[in-house]
Amino acid sequence: MQSSPKDLPTRRGIITASLLPAAGMLLAAMSVHAASAAADTVHGRRFQTLVRPFVETYCVKCHGGEDPEAGLDLSAYTTVDSVVSGFSDWDLVLEKLQGAEMPPLKAKKHPPPALELEVAAWIDALRRDEAGKTAGDPGPVQARRLSNAEFDYTVHDLTGVDLRPAREFPVDPANQAGFDNSGESLTMSPVLLRKHLDAARLMADHLVFTTDGFEFAPYPVLTDTDRDKYFTLKIVDFYKRQPTDLAEYFAASWEYRHRGALGLDAASLADIAARRRVSARYLATVYALLTDGRDDAGPLAKLRAQWRAMRGPPQDPAALHESAVRLGDFVTDLRERLVPAVANLSAPPIHEGSQTLVLWKDRQMAANRRRFDADALHVAGAAPRAVESAATAEQVATAAQLAANAPDAIVTGAPAADTAAARALKETIRSGGKFIAPAIVTAGTSATTQLAAKQNRDDDPDLMVPAEPAARARALAAFARFADVFPDAFYISERARVYLDAADEQKLSGRLLSAGLHSMTGYFRDDAPLYDLVLSPADQRELDRLWRDFYFSAAIPQRMHTSFVWWERTDSTFMRDPQFAAFRPEDKSVTDQDKIGRLAALYLAKAVANQANSTVQEAIREHFRRVAADVALVETERAAAEPRQLQALLGFAERAYRRPLSAAERAGLLDFYRQCREKNGLDHEDALRDSVAAILTSPNFSYRFDLKETAGGGKPQSARIAPLTDYALASRLSYFLWSSMPDRELLAHAAAGDLHRPGVLAAQARRMLKDPRLANFSAEFLGHWLDFRRFEEHNGVDRGRFPEFDNDLREAMYQEPLRFFTDLVQSGAPVQNLLYGDYTFVNAPLAKLYGIPGRFSTDAWVRVDHAGEFGRGGLLPMAVFLTANSPGLRTSPVKRGHWFVSNLLGQRIPAPPPNVPSLPADEKSLGELSLRQSLEQHRKDPQCAGCHSRFDTFGLAMEGYGAIGEVRNVDFGGHAVDSRAEFPGGVMGEGMAGLRDYIRAHRERAFIDNLAAKLLAYGLGRTLLISDDLLLDEMKARLAADHYRFGAMVETLVLSPQFRNRRSQLQAGPLTARYISPHIGDNLVH
Amino acid sequence: MRPATHRSGHILSRRTVLRGAGVIMALPFFESLRVLAAGTTDASGHPKRLALVFMGCGINPNHWWARGAGADMEFSRTLAPLAPFRTKLNVINGLVNKPAVGVGIHPGQTGNILSGVPLAKGAVLRGGISMDQVLANTIGRDTLQPSLVLGCEQPVTGYHETNFSMAYSSYISWQSEDSPVPLEVYPSLAFDSLFENRGSRRLESILDRVRDDAASLESLLGADDQRKLEEYLASVRDVEKRVDRMRTDQAGAAGNAADRGRPLATMSRPDNGLPQDLREHMKLMSDIVAIAFQTDKTRVATLMFNRDLSGMFYPFLGVTKTHHSASHDDTSDDYEKIARYYVSNLAYLAARLDAMPEGEGSVLDNTCLLYFSNMWSGTSHDNTKLPIVTIGGLGGTLQTGRVLDYSAAGDGNRKLCSLHLSLMDRMGTTLPRFGDADTRLANL
Repeated sequence: MQSSPKDLPTRRGIITASLLPAAGMLLAAMSVHAASAAADTVHGRRFQTLVRPFVETYCVKCHGGEDPEAGLDLSAYTTVDSVVSGFSDWDLVLEKLQGAEMPPLKAKKHPPPALELEVAAWIDALRRDEAGKTAGDPGPVQARRLSNAEFDYTVHDLTGVDLRPAREFPVDPANQAGFDNSGESLTMSPVLLRKHLDAARLMADHLVFTTDGFEFAPYPVLTDTDRDKYFTLKIVDFYKRQPTDLAEYFAASWEYRHRGALGLDAASLADIAARRRVSARYLATVYALLTDGRDDAGPLAKLRAQWRAMRGPPQDPAALHESAVRLGDFVTDLRERLVPAVANLSAPPIHEGSQTLVLWKDRQMAANRRRFDADALHVAGAAPRAVESAATAEQVATAAQLAANAPDAIVTGAPAADTAAARALKETIRSGGKFIAPAIVTAGTSATTQLAAKQNRDDDPDLMVPAEPAARARALAAFARFADVFPDAFYISERARVYLDAADEQKLSGRLLSAGLHSMTGYFRDDAPLYDLVLSPADQRELDRLWRDFYFSAAIPQRMHTSFVWWERTDSTFMRDPQFAAFRPEDKSVTDQDKIGRLAALYLAKAVANQANSTVQEAIREHFRRVAADVALVETERAAAEPRQLQALLGFAERAYRRPLSAAERAGLLDFYRQCREKNGLDHEDALRDSVAAILTSPNFSYRFDLKETAGGGKPQSARIAPLTDYALASRLSYFLWSSMPDRELLAHAAAGDLHRPGVLAAQARRMLKDPRLANFSAEFLGHWLDFRRFEEHNGVDRGRFPEFDNDLREAMYQEPLRFFTDLVQSGAPVQNLLYGDYTFVNAPLAKLYGIPGRFSTDAWVRVDHAGEFGRGGLLPMAVFLTANSPGLRTSPVKRGHWFVSNLLGQRIPAPPPNVPSLPADEKSLGELSLRQSLEQHRKDPQCAGCHSRFDTFGLAMEGYGAIGEVRNVDFGGHAVDSRAEFPGGVMGEGMAGLRDYIRAHRERAFIDNLAAKLLAYGLGRTLLISDDLLLDEMKARLAADHYRFGAMVETLVLSPQFRNRRSQLQAGPLTARYISPHIGDNLVH
Repeated sequence: MRPATHRSGHILSRRTVLRGAGVIMALPFFESLRVLAAGTTDASGHPKRLALVFMGCGINPNHWWARGAGADMEFSRTLAPLAPFRTKLNVINGLVNKPAVGVGIHPGQTGNILSGVPLAKGAVLRGGISMDQVLANTIGRDTLQPSLVLGCEQPVTGYHETNFSMAYSSYISWQSEDSPVPLEVYPSLAFDSLFENRGSRRLESILDRVRDDAASLESLLGADDQRKLEEYLASVRDVEKRVDRMRTDQAGAAGNAADRGRPLATMSRPDNGLPQDLREHMKLMSDIVAIAFQTDKTRVATLMFNRDLSGMFYPFLGVTKTHHSASHDDTSDDYEKIARYYVSNLAYLAARLDAMPEGEGSVLDNTCLLYFSNMWSGTSHDNTKLPIVTIGGLGGTLQTGRVLDYSAAGDGNRKLCSLHLSLMDRMGTTLPRFGDADTRLANL
């Protein structure tokens, strides 16, 4: 470790108290000494009288001169100031002195112990003094790009989709503290920039454009098929989320009815609806129908009878559900039988599957959802009579008479639709006659068949109405209300071809929101009952918006029409005549208003020339009217959407940059968009895509420049220390606790200018700890601290020897500590649970490995208490650490032990010398010697023992766990497992229990010290300095005072001056802060 | 870390995000940028190109045959337009795309013809990546445009009676298992995508923009932070330089290629809109493929002369039925005329390529035009064997002048995907398996 005491570190400068802003700063002790004062201090004098002579006598022989040992030149330290600025060297000196490692045994001169103690005490005191003087220094926190993990989390929060573009980025290096969230290690290169750029453009390909702006899909959306998929799935998803199960409404009604007995006296119907998660609106409708006694005839009477028969409380939920389902089934069964049939329109040579006719049918069916088929009912006691062929005018007249007098007569045939008689006949039907309208009779149905069908219905008591006119009227009214409240379907989410036999078509599922056409692109919205009966106004608006965005984004009207033009010439032969030659599907102008109009006229004319009846003609006219209107609407909306989408672009930039934009920035973004349109000739959507890509490649997004002022301000103030702006603070908080961008609430506080207030800051930190996004913190903080962050890709296990180690188990192993830690933080449990907690979290694969009985699934994580019975509990026996620190076919006590002291306890262990022979990879090949015996070398050879004695034995204590962390009694080499160990200081222990006891007695402080130091380094995004010592003390004090709740340290950190301020950058100086190890207590055991 | 949400294999396809015309160009491997720009060829010779030319609904089975070999090859009526290329072609019979047989007619027989993966019915599209897009992801990195996907008939996306989406009838190029490559039907836009350099202009604009962002940030930062920004700026400048160099390289390449194919090098930009006459439309699209190959703007092209379930009609042939309807009488004279018309278009494309000198031969000699249909017989929707012709020697790697018949070779030895694997090999991309095949086509 080279040190150059002549460098003036940047932290030594002069500040004056008057430049410190007033609000909430604890920097009272922030003055840093001028160079000249130090020499006269107590430390200065002692340095000259005690320390320097000591060093010159006992150290400099090796640690001085031209080639100092281990690169440590102690002779260069001639002043106290030099010691302070090169303190990392002196920290090492202290450690070596206290560990009795220096001077080495072979040295000729050895200082008397008392002198060593004095020197050590001096170093210690100097440090403490320095710590006091410089406490609160924010330290050099460099601006930096987002780490890969932060990039992914931010993209997820920004777009709403977990796109994970950083999967393709090169792995980020860590800083000295072991974290990758610091400018000390994060750099930018052309390769990485290109990947950022590619990622940004890929994300832009995920854009979906809506009438209001844009959103991101989970996959690129570039083709019509992509857009169709995105919106149909969204709409169908919306439908499926709605409460449309009648049984639920009956159950809720029951609950309301018996609310007194159920202890829900004060509940209103709306409250019950909220409790049971059904629509309040529809519940009110259903409840009224059940209880208001109006139209008490026919189906309503029957329903109400069943309702009244429902047993009151107490009722177990299963039984209640069952009886509610029975009511629901009664309704749906009956309702099915009341659906009016809609016959196909037929008008050869128009193909039956033509959009003109099929969409007409769709519209009829949609209109019928809350109507009932009066023809399905029969009058009690009346016998049907049949009359055939009401084709001529006289027959029509006869039929009319029959219908008036004998309500059950069935008449078939096809009278000329336009005669007055036919119209009169239709009128008669509407007022209760029994004529099957000509348009409804499909070709070939004879009166006999109809009669037979009708006779079947006549056996159905539910479809009977009384003969007496007044009673019959009441019954019909009941049917009407019944059908109105209970639609035959709340919505149609998919449809096969509607003009063909329904039974045959049933197997053609998956045609979401289809209009029921053959081969053509075609969608049809049929959800009025859901909309009118169930949805709240907000939900109605959302559904409308979804359909509007669908038609808008995927140009549905245009594509349906081009489909139409193609089809009418192929499967249909209608448009093969030369007069239609001008209309080609490839031709963009085929959807121009004038071309639609001309086609409409030609189409209609041909239909009329072929004797199409008036219904068909009207259907044709209506079809083309709608096409023209829908096409025009989409075009208008597209034009109107452009400015809205540009506003959305600005909003997006603001969120991406995590701060408000200046006017210049806004203008710049719009200018870029215009350039894309004009200079690069892009259309609106592509220009927006490039604009989004530019935003996501901008350093404003991918870098953490915690600017003093918001953009547009002047130069930074000349103060050395200044508070972070609220926006900078918001980002610092969110990247600390969520590794992601600030959310709306944080930004709202930043906008209000109160985020820096201690009360607000602490409250926000507490809120953020409880948020699900804390899982990100667990992954990044714990994952890096305990060095398992990349375990999801761990391939060191021999899957031949360990077939149970599959990807699911690997993933489960990785998750276990994260789940544990997140739970610990959010529940406020003491941090010592990490070491001693007798519980852990498992899912199916992990439970299997651990031998924990019970039913588990891969996706659900369950807390298991008394985990000690299975050899688990806390971090230490977690399979992930045992596996990560094993070379695949055997355990490695050395690696495990090293991980334990180095990662977990923060002890500094130097790297091994270069020429150490390695142990065999496979336990089987160790032969006669056990692993333990092979490691005896480490203890015998003093060169090895110096370091290895500090950690090997901890790994030996873990020998009861095999290469994938499984509990074992015998190793692969056939030896019985021996997990006894002699820990540093001569303490004996065995297995995990022994290890825990040892920690509790001797190293718990070290663990806490290390945890605090790691947390602080992570939270500040830099390696620690002496000036952080007091903050660490404070964090640990608050921790102890608050039941060792992890959150206490977080809050202390967040309220510290280090976190809330930054150093301003007057002059360029050396960038890297030299790492100073935090004072880890009790790691030095003699 | 949250468990990864399901992603449909877009990692591969990222670099080939295409919009027929507005290609979002990914940066190629700089290291392997063709030295064509420098006017030399690399060690392996001239670039090889592959064009997949599709005609829907089968051919007239009575008139689709060839006999003999090489200069003595004889042709049926439908194949007669290819006679001038007899020594450069192979007529291949008897191959089958098994995952498309017996699943349902039309879309189920078409969508996977280049992927060999069973197609999913119903709500969500799913198949497999097509072989031209596999090539686009690999060798496509060396050209301005990874691949070109053109068609003469617009796609339709309703549902067929077999409950397969009509998207499978409309698209044979799939960039991933669930997303087709957009088809460009407008000649002018296809032309622009190749020659207007829009792709690199867009990249440069974005890079300019972020450089400006960084510049405005700079004045707001302190010295240390500026240093980090400088690192960013240096990276931006580096990437910009490469984009610029790539553009000049490509311009150079175009110039060089133009020199070599002197008489046919230039093609003026087609008019906007659609040609009224189908004949002109098809010729224009063929011209664009030819010139794209000649100028090495791309080496992989898919040209759908029409769609499956095609609605094309041919007044100039004196045929009144539309294509699909006519295919239902596939032994008729009308349908023979239609099939022959398509083959003559293929001949036109081959002639264009053959007239462009390259090395010792022509561009055609370094190309393979793979012509195929999704069925043998449109009347019976028989796709247990497919009509296939290859034209071009693919840089000497493909033996030509043969009539190959795999009908009797056994199902394991006559897979269409074996042909795809063999062609991909010759194009420089070796896969262990593709679609339903893990062996190459014997005797190819």
